[in-house]
Amino acid sequence: MNIGMTALDKAYEIVLTIFPILLACMVFLCLVRAIKGPRIADRIVAVNMMGTLTMVIIAILALKMNEGYLVDICLIYAMISFLAVTLLTKVYMGIYLENKAKKEEKKNDRA
Amino acid sequence: MIVLEWIRFLIGFAFLLGGLIIFTIELIGVFRFRYVLNRMHAAAIGDTLGISLSMIGLIIMSGLNYTSLKMLLVVVFLWFASPAASHVIARFEVATNEELDKECEISREER
Amino acid sequence: MSRLLSEEEYRKTKAFRVKRWYHGEKDAYLDKVEMQPQEEFMEDIQTKKKRLHDEALLIQHVYDIEHNRKLKLFSKLYQIVSVIFVFVLIGILLFVVSYLPPVGNALNPDNNEVAAKYIEDGMKDTGAVNIVTGMILDYRAFDTLGESNVLFIATCTVLILLRLDKNKNHKNDDTTTKEQEEENDRLYEPKNDIIIQKVACVLVPIIIIFGIYVILNGHLSPGGGFSGGAIIGAGLILYLNAFGFKKTERFFTQKTYKWICFVSLSFYCLAKTYSFYCGAHHLESGIPLGTPGDIVSAGLILPLNICVGLVVACTMYAFYAMFRKGGF
Repeated sequence: MNIGMTALDKAYEIVLTIFPILLACMVFLCLVRAIKGPRIADRIVAVNMMGTLTMVIIAILALKMNEGYLVDICLIYAMISFLAVTLLTKVYMGIYLENKAKKEEKKNDRA
Repeated sequence: MIVLEWIRFLIGFAFLLGGLIIFTIELIGVFRFRYVLNRMHAAAIGDTLGISLSMIGLIIMSGLNYTSLKMLLVVVFLWFASPAASHVIARFEVATNEELDKECEISREER
Repeated sequence: MSRLLSEEEYRKTKAFRVKRWYHGEKDAYLDKVEMQPQEEFMEDIQTKKKRLHDEALLIQHVYDIEHNRKLKLFSKLYQIVSVIFVFVLIGILLFVVSYLPPVGNALNPDNNEVAAKYIEDGMKDTGAVNIVTGMILDYRAFDTLGESNVLFIATCTVLILLRLDKNKNHKNDDTTTKEQEEENDRLYEPKNDIIIQKVACVLVPIIIIFGIYVILNGHLSPGGGFSGGAIIGAGLILYLNAFGFKKTERFFTQKTYKWICFVSLSFYCLAKTYSFYCGAHHLESGIPLGTPGDIVSAGLILPLNICVGLVVACTMYAFYAMFRKGGF
């Protein structure tokens, strides 16, 4: 009986240690896409992905350390990343369309 | 019973492994596709299916308590927020890209 | 103008000049300060040649990277050496950091009797399971009062600097008022997106309820007034983003902000300043401590958390609205 429990505990420990390491490597690879991406939307997508992967890491750590309140941080992360994406695209679209309208006004003034 | 504990661990581990595989597929997709809107398709997989499988695995591993309820709330929140984020990014990309004809097919009336 | 002198003679007298100056009919500076017509600025041919020669030299030796082999080599070498230098610096710093003692070691200088006393008696004195909340809202409540006041002062300062004055110095021939200019700033942004509106209808209640949960559980689990207030502020920002300013001003105006901050801060002041008059050791407040682990426990910590949370939420929303619109 005793040996069975410790084997289970060991299994839990191994699994709950390896997964966050793998996910952390994937977060760094997402950063590569965020740097490389030729358009702005590339970078926004990459940052959103990084947020999601971080959420899974936090949830796994919450289970490993047996502290239930760390899952609140996951929810806050989801909220913040959603809010950031919505606001950023809105502001960027406003700036782009404004510049385009100004250029067309200049063209019409000259022509 | 020890066997039930082992079965719980194995089922949870299977779900968590499924989530990790989906995140890997998402990462490969984000790197190999050639245009933002295609990469966004790949990124949306991780946001919805990947995180839900991982969280279900963690819920099974942790049993029925308030932590599991919070993880369920995270999944529900993300299922509402992630498609809206994808919509906003796609709208931004379509509005600001001048050369959209080269990447996608657009019918003349929509332009 | 004069009965004794003729017109021409009158114009030569001093009296006429004084009267003309008095009535302001003569330009005082005419004939006196007029500028002479200027010559064109012609550069000496020698200086011009010298200037062009200097510029050509500069381009050839400093700026023209493609045709200058030395410069190309130098720029590539610079990139490589800078990367190596950064990594060496990181290595040195990590090596030095590894000499620090491990966390929680018994021989660390910060494990002394002060920390031991707070850890032992924290839960008994304050009734809060979360010792950190007990510290910031019971042992050191005055500091937290200062922090909330700082948030309030920051909002007032930004309000002074960024607010549009409505009915001041309006000239009638101005075609666009300042308000309209601010409106035009956001003219091209996408508004009233139906998907975001429907999603916000579902998500904003969830966010606000979650924020209230974090505030109320300040003394039981990590959280408290500051984080809960930030979450509620983020929920309000999402609502504003989805629905626009007009609909948000139906329930959140300047008056709301003023009253919320005033009531919260004065309640906090009144609740904690009695100890200035009763003696500095005084910690009890008449509210029973209750059993640790309940929501209604820990005396005065729960109301104070609520006050701090409200102030922080209003401040977050106020900053966002002021930077976007210039007022709220």
